[in-house]
Amino acid sequence: MLRRPSTDDLRLIAYNVARMLLISAVAGVVPLLWAVAAGELAPATDFLVMVGLFALLGGLGVAWKPVKDRLDWSHGMVVVALIWLVVPIIGSVPLLLSGNFASWLDAFFDAMSGITTTGLTLAQDIDHMASSMILWRHILHFLGGQGIIIAALSLFSGAGAATLYFGEGRDDRIYPSVRSTSRFIWLVAIVNGIAGILALMLVAYLDLGFSIMRSFFHAATIFMAAFDTGGFAPQSTSIGYYHSAPFEVVIAVLMIAGVMSFGVHFALWRRRSVMGNLETKTILATFGGTLLLTLVGLATAGAYGSAAGLGRQAFFQVLSAHSGTGFSTIPSPELATWGGLAFGGMTIAMALGGMASSTSGGVKSLRVGLTLKSIAAQVKQVLLPEGAVISDRFYQNGPRHLTDELKQGVTVISLLYVALYLLGGGIGLAAHVPLQDALFESISAAANVGLSVGVTTPSMPDVLKATYAFQMWAGRLEFISVFALLGFVWSLARGK
Amino acid sequence: MRVAILLFITVFLVGPPALAAESVSATMLLESPQAFDGHQVAVVGELIGDYGHRDDGTVWTQLNDDPYAYSPLRDGGRLLGGNVGIGIHGAADLFAGIDPPGRYNRVGPLVIVTGTWRYHDPDRGGETYLEVGSLQVVRSGHPLGESVSMTTLVLAAALVIAAAGALLLARKH
Repeated sequence: MLRRPSTDDLRLIAYNVARMLLISAVAGVVPLLWAVAAGELAPATDFLVMVGLFALLGGLGVAWKPVKDRLDWSHGMVVVALIWLVVPIIGSVPLLLSGNFASWLDAFFDAMSGITTTGLTLAQDIDHMASSMILWRHILHFLGGQGIIIAALSLFSGAGAATLYFGEGRDDRIYPSVRSTSRFIWLVAIVNGIAGILALMLVAYLDLGFSIMRSFFHAATIFMAAFDTGGFAPQSTSIGYYHSAPFEVVIAVLMIAGVMSFGVHFALWRRRSVMGNLETKTILATFGGTLLLTLVGLATAGAYGSAAGLGRQAFFQVLSAHSGTGFSTIPSPELATWGGLAFGGMTIAMALGGMASSTSGGVKSLRVGLTLKSIAAQVKQVLLPEGAVISDRFYQNGPRHLTDELKQGVTVISLLYVALYLLGGGIGLAAHVPLQDALFESISAAANVGLSVGVTTPSMPDVLKATYAFQMWAGRLEFISVFALLGFVWSLARGK
Repeated sequence: MRVAILLFITVFLVGPPALAAESVSATMLLESPQAFDGHQVAVVGELIGDYGHRDDGTVWTQLNDDPYAYSPLRDGGRLLGGNVGIGIHGAADLFAGIDPPGRYNRVGPLVIVTGTWRYHDPDRGGETYLEVGSLQVVRSGHPLGESVSMTTLVLAAALVIAAAGALLLARKH
C-alpha cells in the first residue's frame, strides 16, 4: 500500500530545504552589495525582493522544525530535487524584474540554466544588462556547480547528510565524513578561484587592455562560468568577445579543472597519479576522438585557411562541449553550419560529458568507460572457448570489480540520458525544429552544456522552453532525485 | 526605417569611403560570413562593452547592430530578441576622443564603421571580425537615467521585515 507522507515527513523536508534557502539568501546579498556599489539602484531593489523571499521562506521553514531530524534516503532525494527547483524559482525574481526577460518562464529558464551550470539563455539585450544582474547569473553557476548543498553540508551537516550529498549526483567520498569532503570541495573552489581570477585579471588588464575594475568583473564572472562548467558570459558574443588566444588558454585550463572530479583534484593535490584510472583514460580517449572528428570535418569542409586557426577554434569548441561549459568563440549561426563529422564530434562530446562528481553534465566518462568495458567483456565471452574466465577488474583509484550490480546501474543511467536526449529532440521536431538542430539543442540542454545552434531564443515555443528547463534539471541531478520527488508527490496525492 | 537611416548616413555624413563599401547589417555578416570575406563593408551600430587597448596600438571592441542600438530597453525600447554584434578591430587613433561604450548605465556612440570583413583570418588564429578603416560617429553616447519602482521598493521592504520576523521565530525554536 502506498503510504501518504506524514506531517513529520513534510516538516523534515521543509526544514532541510529551508536551510538551503537561507544559504541562497546569503548568496543573494553579494549581487545586492555589488549593485549598491555600482550605483545600480533598480537592480538593488530587485535583489532585495529576492533576498527577502529566500530569508522569509527559509526562516519559516526552519521555525517549523521537525521532531526528528534524521534524513533517510527518500527524504534526502526529495530535498535535493526540491532545492534545485525552488532556488531557480526564487532566483528568477530579480531576472524577471530586470526587464531583460519577456516572461517569468524565460527568467526561470535562465535561472535554471544558471544553477544547473548549463548556460543556455533567453535573456534579451545582455549587453545593456546591469553588471549586478550578470554577476547573479554567474553566482547561480557557482552555487549549482559547487553547490548549495555542499555549502550547507560544510556548515551544518547533521544525521543523514550523505543522502543529500549523493542525491546531488555526487559519488566521490574523499574523506570518511561528508562534512570533511564538502569542506575539501570548497577549498578546491577557493584555491582555484583565487588562482583563476588572478590569471584572468592579469590577461584582461595586460593583454586585453581593460581597466582594473572591468578586468576584475570579466575575470570573476568568467571564472565562475569556466570552473563550474557553466557557460554564461558577460557579453552576448561569449568568449568571441575577447579576441585573445592567451585569455582562451586560461579559460581552457579552468574548463579542464572544472571537468575533473573532486577525487582527481584530491589525488593531484596529494601528487598521486590519476593516469591509470579508467575514467581518466576514457575522457582522454573520447576528447581525442571527438576533437579528431571535428578537425577532420572542418578540414574537409575547408572551413579554415590555416592549421593554427583550425586547431585553435576546434580545440576550444570541443573542449567547451566535452566539459559541458558551453562557451564559444564563434557565433551560433556559424556553429549551425557545422555539418557532417564536425557536427558529430561536437554532439558526441556534449552527450558524453565530463568526469563523475565534477561540475559537468552528460553521461560521464566513468559510465562510458564501464559500458565499453562491459561490451568488451561480452565480446570476449563470445569469442573465447566456453568456460574461459574473463577478467572483470578495472582500475579507478584502486583495483575494483565490474559487478553485475554496477553494470546495471551504469546501463540504467546511461539509457536514461539517451532517453532524455531523445525526448528533447522529439519535442523539438514537433515544434518544427530541423532534426540536426533539435538533437544538438536537446543534448546541449540535457547534458548541461549550453552551446546553441540558434534554437534557444526568446521566440521559441513555451513547450520547448519548459522541456529544456526540465532536461537541465533532470540531467543535472542524474534522475534519481527527480524520480524520488515525483514519487513523493504521487504518494501525497494517492497515498493512504 | 533603419535602411533609410543607413542610406542617409552613408551618403550625407560619411561620404566617399563608405560609398565604396557595401552597406550591410551585422545579421548579414553573421549569417553569410564567408560571402563577405575580404569585402569592404559599412555597418552601422552601437559600440558596446569595452575598448580593449592592445600593446600594438590597436583597439578591439564590439559593434551591436540590433534594435537596442537605436532604442535601448531603459530608454523606452521594447524586447526584440537577443543582441546582434560583431567584433571590430582598428587603430587606436580611430577611437580617440570617442564616447565610452554602451553598458547598463549608458548608451554607447552610434557609429558607421567602414572596413574589411575578415572571415577566419589565418593571421589571427581563425578569428572573424571587421578591420576598421574609418569610423564616423553619427550619434553621441549618453548616460541612461534609472528609476526605482516604488512598488518593488515597498515589496522589498515588506519582505525584509517579514523575513526578519521569520528568522526571529526560527531562532526562538
